[in-house]
Amino acid sequence: MSAAATHHDDRVHDEAHAHHFQPPYNVQLKSNRLGLWLFCFSEIFLFGALFAARFYLWGNTRPELSQVLGLITTSVLLVSSFFINRGEVAMEHGDRRTFLRSFMATAVLGAIFFVGVVVLEWNIFGLELNLFGVEWFGHLRPEDGVYAGIFFAMTGMHALHVLSGIIFILLVWNNGRKGHFSAERHWGVEACAIYWHYVDVVWVFFYPALYLIGAPVH
Amino acid sequence: MSNKRSAFRLGVYVFLALAVLTGLEFWVSASFNSAVVLLVIALVKAALIVQYFMHVARLWQEESEIHGEGHQ
Repeated sequence: MSAAATHHDDRVHDEAHAHHFQPPYNVQLKSNRLGLWLFCFSEIFLFGALFAARFYLWGNTRPELSQVLGLITTSVLLVSSFFINRGEVAMEHGDRRTFLRSFMATAVLGAIFFVGVVVLEWNIFGLELNLFGVEWFGHLRPEDGVYAGIFFAMTGMHALHVLSGIIFILLVWNNGRKGHFSAERHWGVEACAIYWHYVDVVWVFFYPALYLIGAPVH
Repeated sequence: MSNKRSAFRLGVYVFLALAVLTGLEFWVSASFNSAVVLLVIALVKAALIVQYFMHVARLWQEESEIHGEGHQ
């Protein structure tokens, strides 16, 4: 056999070996976790920039927003975090039924949050409703200068992440329904929960920055 | 089963702590509106979520330790 033919055989063997090589699941899992956390870290630059812009441009003031609406949307997101944690814990213990119910509850609550921000707070339909002394539709318009610019940028970027999170949850829910996860192998469930909690952490800072800190400006 | 129950219970405790802190934020804003206090509360809330809901410690734990933690 010629040297060239031997070299060719070795290369084919190496490629076949590389193709079939799979690191152990626990090694893959560690890499996956690190990758997801690095992704979350990279997003800090995006949300951090918006957060810094808010304090630079608004200072110790804020637009007058419905406090009740802000508290309700924040509470909804908080409850959704509880449910996704419950679903993840359930899957860790092989309880598929509780996992499916909890993830669906999270998706529904995420959708309520999304509607609360886009339909009520942004008031995209230009509606008005005063019920129980609460203005249920926002009055801030995109053309309202620096207050609207920051408000729509912060809530819009966050709402986009909520929307992608809801899609992620529904995909994982569907895979769970088909029996793709087990107590031993459920990285998709864990990743989805981490992503959703990350979206919640961002709101933990955005909520006081938008609704609570500073004197309201009419 | 009791491991699962205690894991669920931990989730409930963290949720309750977050709910109380959110209420505290609302009260601080309405009463004396201190940006520093509000940001400190937000940091505490974020730390609770990162530690107990996002399981940041799993980044440097071995799988065997995590498995034990998840089933405690």
